[in-house]
Amino acid sequence: MSSQTATTEELFADDPLAWAGGDYRALHRLGQTELADLQLAALRRRFADLRGELVVLDAMVADTGVEAVETLGDVVPLLFSPEVYKSYPASLLRRKRFDVLTGWLGRLTTVDLSGAGAAAATSIDDWLADLDASTDLRVQHSSVTSGTMSFVPHTHTEVDAMFSVVGARVRGGGDPVPVVWPMIREGRSGIMRCADALAEHVAGGEAGVHAMHPGRMSADVMLLAGQIAAARARGEDVAADPGLLARREEFETLRRESEAAMPGFVERLADTLRGQRVYLMNTWNTLHQLASTGLDRDLHGLFAADSLIEPGGGTKGAHMPGDWQDRVLRFTGAERLQHIYAMTETTALHPMCGEGRYHLEPWTVAFVLDPATDEPLPRTGTQTGRGAFFDLLARTHWGGFRSEDLVTVAYEPCACGRSTPQVHDGIRRLKDVGDVDKINCAATDSAHRAALDHLSGGS
Amino acid sequence: MALMALAVPAVVRGELVEGPLVEFGGRGETGFAVADPAAVVPRLGTRNLALSRELAALDLDDILDYLAELGARLVDNGHLDEAVEQSAGLADTPPGLVRSNYRLLPGLFTREATEEVVAAIGRDVLTGWPERRMADGRTGAVRAFGVRSAHIIAGNSPLIAAMTLVRTAVTRGEAVVKTPSNDPLTMVALARTMIDMAPGHPLTRAVSVAYWKGGDEALERRLYHPAAFDKIVAWGGMASVKHVTRYLGPGLELVTFDPKQSATVLGPEAFEPDALDDVARRLALDVGAFNQVGCVNARVVYAVCDTGAAQDLARRVHAELQALPPTVSTPAGRVDTELRARLRALRTSGFHTVVGGRADEGAVIVSHLDEPVDFAGSLAGRVANIVPVETAEDAARHLDAATQTVGVYPAALRHRLREVLPLVGVQRTVELGCAVSVHPALPQDGFEPARRLVRWVTDEHLPAGSDPLDIVFPPHREESP
Ligand SMILES: [Zn+2]
Repeated sequence: MSSQTATTEELFADDPLAWAGGDYRALHRLGQTELADLQLAALRRRFADLRGELVVLDAMVADTGVEAVETLGDVVPLLFSPEVYKSYPASLLRRKRFDVLTGWLGRLTTVDLSGAGAAAATSIDDWLADLDASTDLRVQHSSVTSGTMSFVPHTHTEVDAMFSVVGARVRGGGDPVPVVWPMIREGRSGIMRCADALAEHVAGGEAGVHAMHPGRMSADVMLLAGQIAAARARGEDVAADPGLLARREEFETLRRESEAAMPGFVERLADTLRGQRVYLMNTWNTLHQLASTGLDRDLHGLFAADSLIEPGGGTKGAHMPGDWQDRVLRFTGAERLQHIYAMTETTALHPMCGEGRYHLEPWTVAFVLDPATDEPLPRTGTQTGRGAFFDLLARTHWGGFRSEDLVTVAYEPCACGRSTPQVHDGIRRLKDVGDVDKINCAATDSAHRAALDHLSGGS
Repeated sequence: MALMALAVPAVVRGELVEGPLVEFGGRGETGFAVADPAAVVPRLGTRNLALSRELAALDLDDILDYLAELGARLVDNGHLDEAVEQSAGLADTPPGLVRSNYRLLPGLFTREATEEVVAAIGRDVLTGWPERRMADGRTGAVRAFGVRSAHIIAGNSPLIAAMTLVRTAVTRGEAVVKTPSNDPLTMVALARTMIDMAPGHPLTRAVSVAYWKGGDEALERRLYHPAAFDKIVAWGGMASVKHVTRYLGPGLELVTFDPKQSATVLGPEAFEPDALDDVARRLALDVGAFNQVGCVNARVVYAVCDTGAAQDLARRVHAELQALPPTVSTPAGRVDTELRARLRALRTSGFHTVVGGRADEGAVIVSHLDEPVDFAGSLAGRVANIVPVETAEDAARHLDAATQTVGVYPAALRHRLREVLPLVGVQRTVELGCAVSVHPALPQDGFEPARRLVRWVTDEHLPAGSDPLDIVFPPHREESP
């Protein structure tokens, strides 16, 4: 798959920016048919390349009977649900069987994992660090709310291709732009991995990254924290191993330090970056915390007006105060917010346009499924249902992904001039949409979640 | 264009309220319309002392006769027939299974059945003031009085509505039943049958039924207070409880039937050749009866066996699920896209075997390692998870107070487990195959529901000529000559 011999659809999928001759704008102005044809050709290529190489894909083909992809819609039965990335037995983590977990991960990626020394790993952090060091994999783990953690096997090469697009979008061919990172610097969750890529593609190196705290967010401790929260909601204690419980202290320290770090961080930003054009991408919540801390210290209009402020978070950012966007604008001094839609499972930050719609990056194929049947809705007009996507950048794992989001997708060109399909604002979790007055004596996950919400003072 | 929404009346103290109607979403395509809660609910929040007196004066045998006659009228009952039809799209199970459940209702009202509920409370305390002579010399007489309760019932089984009625009548209580969106129909049909049978009878007037959207604070604030109710009986745990906890206080007690899960434990004897067929059929019944919508249905099955034996059992149970009579169990009838996706993910994991489940007909998952799938709490539509374990006792570490029923095979193992499982919170062990059959006169969820639905009143006196100071301060006896 070297780029010398690449066909046009291969180049489009492997390195969209190079395919477009470095012109990011052009990627969003392809004709609808042209884009669909490119996507289909690239999708067929991915399917052909990965068949026989990915055990999980082969199992899905066997299970669904879908042997060929003639149209974009044909791939729908083969889209992975989020469960695929956490289908390992949770006890493997408890028993530290990282050798077995590597075997499981090996079913999900074509990257050769035989060189990884997983048997020696005694923690998720060690395991992932070893994979980082010995392979091209850059596994992204999920943030944990339920006691299980998913692992998505992206590679450095794939993430690189995506962030070179982000780099082009931010820098427009010009100088590096300082990256403001109002979080702990290191980590391997989906969002934490972004800091590494932004250092390389936007900030022009680590010196250009202004992180709130230099520490590392431990995957093990995140999992433990999730398990403790879940156990507490059931009125139980977690029987975690003592080594990990000792590290809980470390996590608490890091959390205290990082919470306390915000005021110092905004002061540092005021000293070092005042008036400069910066790149600031983070969750709604974190951006709002940053802005509030700054505004409390009377810091306004800190950065240049053409700074790029990219809030992401979609549905996870519920319960935000009504004026949070104004506050972020007042603190940063940016003219506007560039909202983005992102998911761990796809390699893209889909930017919102002036019309308030998230434009899907052209290497992401969008499907809308009937939530009742999972059948794909027509790829025309405007459709509402379960969002599902195929990430054509993924070449070592299967890019097909069925989300838990209820989305509205417009397939017709947008009034802003871009022709790529758009996801409307107001994305919701499908689970939050159901009937809330149905009462059943059988305990379910949703009853459990309701209990959690209730106990934590939520809705 | 819009179809006429299904109209569900309310019942206020034995009187039908058919309108005006307000529409609710529900789960069905057409939703349903109910008698306007804003007009109905305020009428439910007051006590009627005259009615309490009439109820208290009822002869227990007359009450049981009333219930027996009501039960007889539930056979070929027009209101229930209508409810079966209307349940399509609302109920957790297809109309055929709603009808099957309705066929079980008369059995709850027979004299034999209601006498068992009476016995569970004590006939003597329901009919008189049985006296007990206490060690300190006093005589204490005890009587169970009816109370006024709000019942927030669950909708997954129509039996819950009938059990609520029987317990209310036997205790001479008064009930306001808030129906759920997955069954707004059964309780109304029962109350209408009472109205047809004995309009104006105190037992008929003791029952009110309404649907409103749970958590409607403007309505509920004016309803749930001690001046209106003695108890709130909440099924389904947090789903219903979260709306009422803010109204609790002295004088208003909460009784909860918490949401539960049930499990199965199979000893190695289950895999002996002459036992296997029977075990598979019994297990299929525990898993699949009434389509696994109940807390009593089996979901996770801990089996003392290896993976191969578990896979063999899984195939047999899947076949037995298909062979269950359609009056007892059917394919889901509704595509569960979440569950399908989860089963598909398991098929690809390398750590599980999944038998069936491609057509929503039910499935049996075998865990290759000794732990349940992480969505075990969401197993539905006749899907079980067999988990091979080394010893039956290993199952205990997966069970806790959220475990209601544990079906066990063989009997000797059940006798062993009933001594240890309650220590971790389990509330019921039962012979394999009988898990879904809940007896209304036995304790449930770890307590005795009928005994919780009364006010336990005492009347006390001393023997003639006693000095009350002897009772108030017993050392007085020694001090006085
Ligand atoms: Zn646009």
